[in-house]
Amino acid sequence: MFNGIKGVLYRELNVYRKRARKLILASSLSPLLYLIAFGWGFGDRVVAGGLPYITFLIPGLITMSSLNQSYGISQEINIARFYFHLYDEYLIAPVGPMEIVLGEIFYGMFKGLLSTILIFIYALIFSVDLIISPLFFLSILIHTFLFSSLGTTIAMVIKDHGSQATVNTFVITPMIFLCGTFFPVDRLPYVFKLLVYALPLTYSTKVIRASLTGGEVSIFFLALMVAYASVFFYTAYLAVRRVEA
Amino acid sequence: MMKELLEVRGLVRRFGKKTAVAGIDFTLEEGAFVGLLGPNGAGKTTTIRMLTGLYKPTSGSVRYYGRDFFSNQKGIKGNIGVVHQYSNLDRDLTAFENLNLHCILHGIPRSERKKRIEEALEFAGLAEHRNHQIKTFSGGMKRRLVIVRALLHEPRILFLDEPTVGLDPQIRRSLWDLIVKVNQVKSMAILLTTHYIEEAERLCKRVMIINEGKIIADAPPEELKKDLGRFVLEVFHEDGIEERLFQSKEEALEALKGCRETCKIREVTLEDVFLNLTGRRINV
Ligand SMILES: Nc1ncnc2c1ncn2[C@@H]1O[C@H](COP(=O)(O)OP(=O)(O)O)[C@@H](O)[C@H]1O
Ligand SMILES: [Mg+2]
Repeated sequence: MFNGIKGVLYRELNVYRKRARKLILASSLSPLLYLIAFGWGFGDRVVAGGLPYITFLIPGLITMSSLNQSYGISQEINIARFYFHLYDEYLIAPVGPMEIVLGEIFYGMFKGLLSTILIFIYALIFSVDLIISPLFFLSILIHTFLFSSLGTTIAMVIKDHGSQATVNTFVITPMIFLCGTFFPVDRLPYVFKLLVYALPLTYSTKVIRASLTGGEVSIFFLALMVAYASVFFYTAYLAVRRVEA
Repeated sequence: MMKELLEVRGLVRRFGKKTAVAGIDFTLEEGAFVGLLGPNGAGKTTTIRMLTGLYKPTSGSVRYYGRDFFSNQKGIKGNIGVVHQYSNLDRDLTAFENLNLHCILHGIPRSERKKRIEEALEFAGLAEHRNHQIKTFSGGMKRRLVIVRALLHEPRILFLDEPTVGLDPQIRRSLWDLIVKVNQVKSMAILLTTHYIEEAERLCKRVMIINEGKIIADAPPEELKKDLGRFVLEVFHEDGIEERLFQSKEEALEALKGCRETCKIREVTLEDVFLNLTGRRINV
């Protein structure tokens, strides 16, 4: 049962190890720019959701950055599949689709959690106080699981590279900008609010922000995250089960 | 009597309206060395991919040792080794790491992995390149590596999809030696696809000719050629080459005497067999 998980992780982590410095450097830049531009730029004059803006922003950057990293395995799986045919090596082995899916998801979670640590370091540097509770751990695990599952699903159902870029442009980027990363969603016009409350990132952001800043964590939202994660996990499983190359 | 390893019955695969494999039947014994010879687009790759669990057939059955493949995939896959038409090594990993990945996926115990990998690298003549990234490998080296990688879990049958396509003649020959060694030293059954006549004739003890998704002939190469005649007289006319078949060299030489255009005698090949069966050439 574990050979597939071990195999996928062995490959992903060894490839990651060789590029780690470049990858970490690249993924650390954009959150830093946001912090400098919005955190320092707005300073104390802006209050969002009852918090100093920089305190509001950091949890948003955590969800955004970990989403980018976790969901980002989509692109990597894609290149591995279409350019290098690496999936053939998994598919001829005596391992089931569930093992392959779990291997990829764990890798996505690893990347997501690594970027979370990075933002915590920024929080220290910008001396923003955060509360790290078990509830935070639970929610970041669900969050990275959710978006790794989504990334795996997308990577398996699309037919080529172009469609990957399309999904990123029309789904992922708008989601990152609208779902409470940079401002509270409650200020959005009604129509947008409807849209935003259909997207899973909204709940991740609310739960993670509340857990880090001492707000009240909605169990209902947490349950919704679990629901989304389950759905995407199942779609990822189905997609890998029927994939032929 | 040899034990039956693989039995294929009525295997069909369609892609939309296109029928890539149109119902093929054959059986394979332990230790066999069989070629699947046919032009590009004949359905060779699609066949191999169905026999190794990568494509689901539209209909038909595949049995290994009498067990249905598609309902026992996990149990049976350990008996199968595959070398694809393209090299699917990870460019960023080293030779050792690529082989190690294969060992992990096939559940080879950690204590045995190193020994098997070193052996495989030795067998392929790549021992010094153990810790080099695949990026630095030539086409021939990658081919050798994917072949020994497919053997790491000690399968009973090895599928090779056009193993020498796109390689220099010299490298092709060295790969042939490696493949023959696998069949003889490891007494592993081999099913090799190719569109190179010479490869099928020289290597395979039995050749199945595939065209438009159907197997149209299945016998040892000598037998396939025998029915046709043994020698060909090629007559070069202004508008093309005429080929006349003869049972003996003497008859062919006799005909050569009366030849007024440029003429040439050569032995019959599987290309002639294919031409005779289909009216087309394998390689155009
Ligand atoms: N994934 C696919 N989708 C659509 N058509 C395909 C696909 N794979 C193969 N075919 C078609 O099926 C036929 C057989 O292809 P293939 O098995 O690759 O032939 P070969 O390996 O003998 O060159 C070809 O006409 C090819 O275009
Ligand atoms: Mg082919």
